[in-house]
Amino acid sequence: MTNDVNATAHPFSGRRQRSLSALLDTVLPASEDGSMPSARELDFLAYVREQAQEFMPKLAAIVDHFDDEFSNQPLSTRLAAVEDYSKTEKQAFNGLLFHIYDCYYQNSRVCELIGVRPGAPFPQGYAVEPGDLSLLDTVLAHPRSYRS
Amino acid sequence: MENASDHDPVDVLIIGAGASGGAVAWSLSDTRMRILCLEQGDWMKSSKYPTTTNNWEAQQFGAFNIDPNVRGLDTDYPINGDASPIDVVNFNGVGGSTVLYAAHFPRLHPSDFKVKTLDGVADDWPVDYEQLEPYFVENDRMMGVSGLTGDPMYPPKKMPLPPLPIGLVGETMAKGYNKLGWHWWPSDGAVISQPYEGRDKCLNLGTCMSGCAQGGKSSTDITYWPQAIRSGVELRTRCRVRDITLNSDGMADGAIYYDADGNEHFQKAEIVIMACNGVGTPRILLNSKSGQFPDGLANRSGLVGKNLMFHPISVVRGVFEERLDSHKGPPACCIISKEFYETDPDRDFVRGYNMQISRGPGPLTMALRGHASGDIPWGPGHHEAFREQFDHIASIVNVCEDLPEESNTVTLDPQLTDSNGIPAPKITYRISENSRRMLAHGLARGREVMQAAGAKQVDTVDLLRPAGWHLLGTARMGNEPETSVVNSWGRSHDVKNLFVVDGSIFVTSGGVNPTSTIQALALYIADTMKKNLANLFD
Repeated sequence: MTNDVNATAHPFSGRRQRSLSALLDTVLPASEDGSMPSARELDFLAYVREQAQEFMPKLAAIVDHFDDEFSNQPLSTRLAAVEDYSKTEKQAFNGLLFHIYDCYYQNSRVCELIGVRPGAPFPQGYAVEPGDLSLLDTVLAHPRSYRS
Repeated sequence: MENASDHDPVDVLIIGAGASGGAVAWSLSDTRMRILCLEQGDWMKSSKYPTTTNNWEAQQFGAFNIDPNVRGLDTDYPINGDASPIDVVNFNGVGGSTVLYAAHFPRLHPSDFKVKTLDGVADDWPVDYEQLEPYFVENDRMMGVSGLTGDPMYPPKKMPLPPLPIGLVGETMAKGYNKLGWHWWPSDGAVISQPYEGRDKCLNLGTCMSGCAQGGKSSTDITYWPQAIRSGVELRTRCRVRDITLNSDGMADGAIYYDADGNEHFQKAEIVIMACNGVGTPRILLNSKSGQFPDGLANRSGLVGKNLMFHPISVVRGVFEERLDSHKGPPACCIISKEFYETDPDRDFVRGYNMQISRGPGPLTMALRGHASGDIPWGPGHHEAFREQFDHIASIVNVCEDLPEESNTVTLDPQLTDSNGIPAPKITYRISENSRRMLAHGLARGREVMQAAGAKQVDTVDLLRPAGWHLLGTARMGNEPETSVVNSWGRSHDVKNLFVVDGSIFVTSGGVNPTSTIQALALYIADTMKKNLANLFD
């Protein structure tokens, strides 16, 4: 009952929060070598509030699909449940995946770990190697021409 | 309806402010005629482009998507693509599709204008490369095009700006082409490699196809339009044309359009120029029915909307052991191969294709593509698979020549309409057997190059669906009114003061991106109009 009251006041309190956290950790767990964080370590709800507000009700519905025990289950059981959900509710799952990835891959820590400068690409931009145009000597050594 | 007198008549009315509309407006501006352009979209603000924000990639899947049906903006019109394996992609606004294009800027080849003579298929154009050559040069100068002089696959041409960096992706793939002894060359790109005409150079943001916040990419809203407006051309935005009207003499006398609030207007004009691309132009012409033209304006040939050509595209993607910094730099402007561009009687198809080397996506797109293809799973194993692919990707995009077929059409959808109730275009299109063979050839050759370049994993996309950038052939040029819609300088055979300057007038598609040629044609038509002003309607 407490959870229900909290759920009205805050859509992701109590059980829902635990389920969401478990869901994030199932969809995008930490890497085996520990170098990449789990999606549960990011503030996914802040991302949804700030960048994808329209997704909030859908997220609540997705999380509610998973029962009370979901967050206490081992990863293999959770994986099976999410795998099943991804097949039966493909559109909803793909929407969830989009937002988890979007949140994850604009996170500063994640960006640095994958070798991408965090933040907006503009105005700093990037340097690109000019490339070795002497490789064209091979092209020019082959006689060829256009047709006219 | 607003009274016609509320809008002063103009000498020239241009419909559409995209690639060709900008070019023709600028060229005609030195005539001192009163020129007005009606554009259904808005001006773009570079500060609003996605790369100015952290969630730049996500916006490419929404408001900055290349597919108007996904964007669904008020300024867009829906397109029924259910009967086509290729979806039309475009943008509606000042600059048109150059706002979101990849800016790959090759010219058609001399042989592309003579396909009947050289290869016995389709038709020759009523103009040739030599006639258009000065307009290619002028257009390269106006747009700001980067490239390397000396490509043996073209007649000699000098580029205004040095080539864009080919990067690790280009260098890696070039080595593969060299091993096979195949042609490659740095791509010509409408992206400035050095400061040019008040614009600063490309920053390698890697996001040409969601708008360029830097202004390094040459879209016509920052190239032709500022100059045309300074020369006196009026550009009126949020004006969606419904139909072109006729007077009792059978001449076009203006256009009816809706403003942003849905109010109907009439704009009177002495000359009407269509510049709405190969889907938008036939849509308006077909919707402009009258007693004189019951099947649509300027359509006595019955060819308006027919012979639609795309460029069918297949993709070969390679994953490399070494890091290639794939997400940096103009995605499409890297290197290009014309090894299989010209007809070879030993192959099982006529005409040919170019192979464009494309750089790789950003991290979000990489993860989502990996999910769609099954290469990068969600759950355990995601990070390891992602790490192997992200920034380790190079792709070959095979852009195949499409030959004209009357059964490939743009028609008016009987149910679907835009927000003003104007019938939406319906695309009916099938891939020809010739194109299928060409696509398969490109996939096989692409695999060879990838292996020669050292890719450790190669996979393919047999036919790319969201690839209908190049909208061609639906109001074709020709000397005979029975077999073409406009003459050799873009004037309607049926309506002597109606011109078409966009990709609709292509006779054949060539096997390269068409924007450079579309704009050269628009400049050529404008110049021919100027030379014939005294007897323009004879």
